[in-house]
Amino acid sequence: MGYQEYLAAREFVTTIGQPIITYTLIVSAVLFLLSVYCLVKRDEQVIEYSTTLLKVNTTLLALGFLVFAWFHFKIYSTIEVVYPDYVAAYVFQTSGIQLTSSRFAIPLWIEAEKMYFWALCLSFFAWQIAWKYRDVATTVLPVVNIMLSFLIGISYFYANPFADPLPVVHSEITGWTQAITSQDPQFIGQMSMQVFGRVTYYYNSMYMWTHPPMLFIAYASLAVTFAACLFMLLRKEVIYDRIAYSHAKIGYLFLTLGMLIGYPWAVIAWEGDWWWDPKINGSIMMWVLYSAYLHTRIYLNRKYMWEATAILGIVCFASLVFTYLLTYVVPGIHSVAQT
Amino acid sequence: MGIQSLNLKNYDYYLILATSAVLFAIGLVCVLGVWYSYGVFTMNPDWQGTVQYPTYINLMNMHVYPFVLVLLLALGLCIPKRIVPRTSLIKVTACILVFTLVISIAYSIEAGIAFILLMSIAVQAVVLVLTLIKSGALTFDREGHMIQVGSSLLHLGTVLFIFDFASMWESTYHIPVFWVVTLLLTMGLLISFYPSTISRVLNPTK
Repeated sequence: MGYQEYLAAREFVTTIGQPIITYTLIVSAVLFLLSVYCLVKRDEQVIEYSTTLLKVNTTLLALGFLVFAWFHFKIYSTIEVVYPDYVAAYVFQTSGIQLTSSRFAIPLWIEAEKMYFWALCLSFFAWQIAWKYRDVATTVLPVVNIMLSFLIGISYFYANPFADPLPVVHSEITGWTQAITSQDPQFIGQMSMQVFGRVTYYYNSMYMWTHPPMLFIAYASLAVTFAACLFMLLRKEVIYDRIAYSHAKIGYLFLTLGMLIGYPWAVIAWEGDWWWDPKINGSIMMWVLYSAYLHTRIYLNRKYMWEATAILGIVCFASLVFTYLLTYVVPGIHSVAQT
Repeated sequence: MGIQSLNLKNYDYYLILATSAVLFAIGLVCVLGVWYSYGVFTMNPDWQGTVQYPTYINLMNMHVYPFVLVLLLALGLCIPKRIVPRTSLIKVTACILVFTLVISIAYSIEAGIAFILLMSIAVQAVVLVLTLIKSGALTFDREGHMIQVGSSLLHLGTVLFIFDFASMWESTYHIPVFWVVTLLLTMGLLISFYPSTISRVLNPTK
């Protein structure tokens, strides 16, 4: 019964979500064009239009996010995994966990949803810039808007969370349901153990609810730092440093805390050697570079330090993109790439 | 430049430049690590589960080690500047380096590192207490009590972090100490980045 309700919810997400993300893509495409125009020419009317489009875009992204949230709640409320006694006894014997049943409390930033979540965070930062710094309406803001359009494009064409909502979760729920229907004790036992591992150490883990969103908020904030650093190189105006630094502070805070929280999780979840895994390498590289940026910025008024800080801010963002892509390109324990 | 005329601003500036350069160098070693991993993974997809992986970890440690050591020295030099009078700073710094060197030669590099770390933790803990009680005995490059508290927390968190990884790696207290480090660093960052906001929250009547 619960499974049928879950399937209906999944279908509803696609029916509602697909138009939302399609409208978001259209708005983003127009926003992209207007932003390019704003970079070339200062036109108050165009600035007004692009600000309005940004607000529409953010609202649409937030609406899509609410649809996710509803879907995740439906998964939680409709699917309950009741473990057979022999599985519960085995788990208690091996890990000391008292087990009767589990529900999927799935975070809102897994599978294809993470790119969408990053876009949503960046959209909020872009809105904040539009509201707080009118002076950069033809400089930093259009660059941030272009990055936002780019993220939404990737989300639509390569990681559309509405086209096939949570395919991995879906296969796990379907597998569990099939096992129960089959009444085959071996199949049920096998699926129970699989679901137990995923639910306990991944979906419902406190770390999964905190580590990734902190990093995505950091990435979004640091994207703004990048845009401001670009203009620090072109124009020696304090406003660009102020924007770069204020967003670097938010980004660095979340980046540091997010990375720190990831460490105990890795110790618990990953057995064997995992230090200097490509993704770990990339993350350390990104963190040390942002630390260097914050250090050089302290002496911004010294000779060549303005330029050095701006270049470092740009290099830092390149390292961020590089680190993000590592998950998809270089194999490893923190990766989805295949050799 | 004579010891008497030592300018704390310049001392701090060059320390920051050195720290940034070392951080950048660590970043480059990490890029090399990624590059190396990619190459090996292409030839052997199961590389991470093989006995060759620990060899790679040792190789990376060997390459990062000198830079972490320099970073540690920079921290070791940065921390006493708060508590030691400007005129004695170079002398104290030289003493710390000589002691670290002597211990490293007489016992081991690990013992030398443990010495400089424990000394830094002790000094930084004293600095934190003195900062919290608003002692006039401290020298800070930047004004503002909250910024000084934030800076003290950050420095204490950083040395404790390195100590936790360098000397407590296999201890049962490794993860509990790690959570203390996380708390210190988070509080340090929050207070350093948003001193006036935190101050307003703590003293709403002022």
